[in-house]
Amino acid sequence: MEGKRENDDIPQGGDTSRSLEDSRGSDTSRKDEGGSSDLSRRGFLGGTGAALVVAGAPKLGSSEPLSGGAAEQEVQAVPRTAIRVTVNGTEHRVDVEDRWTLNEFLRDQLELTGSKIGCNRGECGACTVLVDGEPMFSCSTLAVWADGRDIQTVEGLERDGAVSPLQQAFMDFNAPQCGFCTSGQLMTASALLVNNPNPTSDEVREGLVGNLCRCSNYNAIVEAVLATAGTSGSGGAQ
Amino acid sequence: MSSSRTAQQASQQIGPMDTVGRDVPRIDAYERVTGRATYTRDVRLPGMLYARVLRSPHPHARIRSIDVSKAEALPGVRAVITHETHQLIYSSGSIAGGRQYNDAAKDITKHLRYMFDNPVRFVGQPVAAVAAVDRYIAEDALQLIEIDYEELPFVIDPEEALQPGAPPIWPEGNLALDIENQPRPSGGTSGDPEAGFAAADQVFEDRYTTAFVQDGQMEPRSALAQWEGEKLILYTPTQGISNCRHDNARDLGLDDHQIQVICKYMGGGFGDKNGSYYFDLIAAMLSKEAEAPVLLELTRKDDWLGTHGRWHTVQNLRVGVAQDGTVTAIALEGFSGMGPYLRRSGGIAGIDAYACRNVERVIYPVHTNRMVSGNFRAPSDPQGYFAIQSMMDDIAYKVDMDPVDFALKNVIRPTDEIQFTNYSLDECIMRGRELFDWESRWRPVPGSDPGPIKRGAGMAFMAFRSGVGPSSAILRVNADERYTLFVGVTDVGPGAKTTMALIAAEELGVPLSQVDVVWGDTDLCPYSVGESGSRTTTMTGYAVVQAALDLKRQIAERGMPRGDDVLIASATPNPSTEGKRRMVFGAHFVEVEADVQLGHIRIAKYVAVHESGRILNPRPAKDQIRGAALQGLGQALHEDLLYDPRNGHPLTAGYYGARHLTHLDAPEIEVTFIETDDGYGPYGAKTVGEAGIILGPAAVANAIFNTIGHRMKELPITRAKILEALA
Amino acid sequence: MKAFTNQNARTLDEAVSLAQQAIQAGQSVSFAAGGTDLLQLMKDRVVNRPGSGEPDVLVNLTTVAGLDQVTAGRGDGTVVGGMITLSALSRHPHIRDQYTVLAEAADTVATPQIRNTGTLAGNVVQRPWCWYYRNGFPCYKAGGNQCFSIAGENQLHAIFGGGPSYIAHPSDLAPALVALDASFRVVGPEGERTLSGSDFFVLPPEDAEHENVLADDEVLASVTLPAPRDGMRSAYHKIMDREAWTHALASAAVVLEMDGDRCLEASIVLGGVAPVPWRVPEAENMLAGQRVTPELAREVGAAAVAGARPLSKNAYKVPLTRGVVERTVLALATSA
Repeated sequence: MEGKRENDDIPQGGDTSRSLEDSRGSDTSRKDEGGSSDLSRRGFLGGTGAALVVAGAPKLGSSEPLSGGAAEQEVQAVPRTAIRVTVNGTEHRVDVEDRWTLNEFLRDQLELTGSKIGCNRGECGACTVLVDGEPMFSCSTLAVWADGRDIQTVEGLERDGAVSPLQQAFMDFNAPQCGFCTSGQLMTASALLVNNPNPTSDEVREGLVGNLCRCSNYNAIVEAVLATAGTSGSGGAQ
Repeated sequence: MSSSRTAQQASQQIGPMDTVGRDVPRIDAYERVTGRATYTRDVRLPGMLYARVLRSPHPHARIRSIDVSKAEALPGVRAVITHETHQLIYSSGSIAGGRQYNDAAKDITKHLRYMFDNPVRFVGQPVAAVAAVDRYIAEDALQLIEIDYEELPFVIDPEEALQPGAPPIWPEGNLALDIENQPRPSGGTSGDPEAGFAAADQVFEDRYTTAFVQDGQMEPRSALAQWEGEKLILYTPTQGISNCRHDNARDLGLDDHQIQVICKYMGGGFGDKNGSYYFDLIAAMLSKEAEAPVLLELTRKDDWLGTHGRWHTVQNLRVGVAQDGTVTAIALEGFSGMGPYLRRSGGIAGIDAYACRNVERVIYPVHTNRMVSGNFRAPSDPQGYFAIQSMMDDIAYKVDMDPVDFALKNVIRPTDEIQFTNYSLDECIMRGRELFDWESRWRPVPGSDPGPIKRGAGMAFMAFRSGVGPSSAILRVNADERYTLFVGVTDVGPGAKTTMALIAAEELGVPLSQVDVVWGDTDLCPYSVGESGSRTTTMTGYAVVQAALDLKRQIAERGMPRGDDVLIASATPNPSTEGKRRMVFGAHFVEVEADVQLGHIRIAKYVAVHESGRILNPRPAKDQIRGAALQGLGQALHEDLLYDPRNGHPLTAGYYGARHLTHLDAPEIEVTFIETDDGYGPYGAKTVGEAGIILGPAAVANAIFNTIGHRMKELPITRAKILEALA
Repeated sequence: MKAFTNQNARTLDEAVSLAQQAIQAGQSVSFAAGGTDLLQLMKDRVVNRPGSGEPDVLVNLTTVAGLDQVTAGRGDGTVVGGMITLSALSRHPHIRDQYTVLAEAADTVATPQIRNTGTLAGNVVQRPWCWYYRNGFPCYKAGGNQCFSIAGENQLHAIFGGGPSYIAHPSDLAPALVALDASFRVVGPEGERTLSGSDFFVLPPEDAEHENVLADDEVLASVTLPAPRDGMRSAYHKIMDREAWTHALASAAVVLEMDGDRCLEASIVLGGVAPVPWRVPEAENMLAGQRVTPELAREVGAAAVAGARPLSKNAYKVPLTRGVVERTVLALATSA
């Protein structure tokens, strides 16, 4: 090709020379002339960058001691509730912060990191888990609302150390590319196969429409689910 | 290797191999389907803090003052940093002339980008960051940071940005600086376009635009930083651990060996993560201040606006055509919207797939106060191919030719000046025509179906670079005859670990089950060029072959190791194709069904024919094409980032806003590979990962024209635009 | 999200009184049904209840017994509890058979995961999805005094009934309910009241800040669907700009009372094109007593958009709406 490369550039001859500039470089602060003190009124991305001072959480009684750290300011107490929830067959009786999503509870408290956060807004499906057998976005429901319910995550699809037929099919059909949507796809598909053991291709796509895949490996995921359908094993869903 | 070998001959010489070319499941498929794969946010370190970033609500503003005292005073907050406390250059973010990996270029570039900039130049640019004992406190602390902004004039549209009187984003104006720090367009002239236009029987002119497309990988970005003395340990979803380490080292003033970058799994790369990110620096600085590990989690909106996407373009094309349908001259004037920092080239590709040598290109990478553009899977290509192939398709009809015949008349072919390592573009087109049944699906008169449901067909073809170049691999064998392969890949999704292991097994002549792969850690793995730019299979794969050859020699000389001994071979080859172009070729054929009353487009059939050399792992290769084609479909029909020009604010960030494809939007993509072995790369393998995305918008747009009889010249081709066109 | 307390209500009265208590204590309170959209608004700190700040208290309605039932009365119609999930609603045989438009509308909402959690009440009273509102612009819906779409990006906004706010009503159930002549039972501290659709939903001139008459301490407890008449059939057709998981660009909820191949009476209510579910009486009247032919269906579609006032960037919604009305009416009238 003549002229400049049109695509991103490829290193010439493996240039790995280091240049040890002082990275605490130029001072970019600028001296401003006067001007109207026009503070922004708009909030952005969950935080206003402006002069609106938002009061912290209301004080609700005794504060908790810090975990680690030298400073002895006390973090304000946050409302908590005791819940009883079964996760992958194991019952947990725990205290949760009222504001924790089910996803945070599973990932941070139970260390079941198989369920992912893709958007935390109910727009992608990476966080899908089964609640009483039904697929739900774990980012879009609270842990306290799961009290008394039965949760299944991707970690719970295995039986006695063996993966479910659906997980095996996902492996056989290269259904995970980057793998980040995989847990969610598996959970929704597992529930689908319980309710509809022999779905058509259209039914699979309708059932899984709430699970995005940006690698866009949609064709392979559908093939994996169809291959599992009709087999004696379930997707692993209870 | 004879370069005059035709594709047909090359195909006939492809024979089966022992390990490569057979379907094998990916090495880490088990981890991915059982939730065991550790992505960056799945890593837990004791005492870990959580961080959040405060971002500019203005498209262009100077920060007059920033007061973090209330944020610092919030119980649970451990560190707050701003441009006043840290003036770190984020060198991987802005590169003179669009060249990456080149330290010298970064030394001279005038337009520096900082971890926190002042002035801020786009909505979403970081201005401060907080680390706290939990993420809620970190979010609350952001609310308490008081900033006095002086709003500055801004500009959103690239063409407007180049008009006299447009608000200057940089002192030199809004045309990006090139490698010599001059505001000059890129491009150039070849042949004699003036003569070519003079010789044309007809000259056509038209204008096409493409929209910004965010990478949208499923894993929202993060960085987890921890200091051990003066050594930084960084977990981050990068496509290139070596480049990430080197970039961060430069910006932090450290030696490379003082940083360890770890990325075992990452949720999607798509081309712009082969280096460092400013949030690596933010996490590192917060961690240093707080003296604890810091996990910086970007929200999806942070990720959308605070990282990068495919540059949007405006393209004015002029094409001269002779009586017999031969293209005599092509001129492109292009504008690429890059945001306020030139991170990547802003190039516009596609013209080179045609034989015409009389070409003039003038491409303006333009600064605007929008989010920064970067690489996304064949960075310059879908945009350029959409425009030039729509234009050529249009011309085919105007000169009364079947678009496939017009294509075959004008595709690039080997000549005395242009030599390929092998050539198969015409075969791809002809095979596609046959598999797709072009004759029965294409309408000689566009839009001629009675409706309201109409059908039609379109096609597009491509030639894309599949270069060779340097990379490294280390291969070790122990007394148990277990082979361990050390490569610096992270496996963004195409299955690179598996491919590298396959190559090792093939070359060593051992079963795949005897090969282990160590990856994703700069403390363990040799230099890697990183997984972007279609290099892993060809470059790192070739290094694996060389390392295996060396190990076999050692084994032959010294015998297998005994006891605790090991044999180690390493290779850092730097092959060349001796001036020949090494390309992948392809053609996509699409049938569209349109409901013209409701503006609805459905893909009825999609055939993709690709020649990507020898296919090492068939199933992932097919899925790479299918997935990429679907991304191209998303770009064709839906994706955009809408800005309100009155206030410079993006309105549709996120999966919902950008309307990314769902399962129901994804038709079946039928893939056929024409396999060849041109004697280069590992066993003749070429790139697969980027090739599939290039033709989606062009082929779909051409199919839509054939179906509805109107040429849609703006991406995305939405329902609204179709209804407006037909009104 | 700001810290808040979740309070599980066991009865509707308790729910209302918990809300009242919170308000009287100077706290901000939200009712939580499925909570999917509520949590997103809270995470993004979008103003949900103008004047009231982010919630300190969530009152959980899903713990109220019996609020999710479908009760078919004899001759009195069917009462559907507000807390029924969209999945359960769409699967319910009585709803699917007798009030198909409602089941079909529920089917089109978002995704299976959201339908498993989201409720009828939550869907009907969800806040608008206007990108200005959701991106934190200080517009009418956030308690401000302007609409940013009218002179800005209004591709998704109203072509009927707009001004001073131009949002498109985001609910799919709402047009279906209005087409069925449903009544809306609201329960609050002062007791309960039952409202027609036209009284429940409010146009911007009446109240630009809200989409309906619910006060902060009131709950949409149930809807009552009149008993289906003989020969009644209904359908919902939603147009989106991808195949799923978006709000309607335009939708049509159609209820026809047929006598053989003659239409006696019609209800046509549009979604996604006005700040409230938009009834089109001129179009409905054209069908009264008529055999539905393709030509008549075309005229009905044209009549449905005769009063449309598109904005600068949403003119495409006019032919789209015309098309969806024509198609839905014809298909419904001529189906077996």
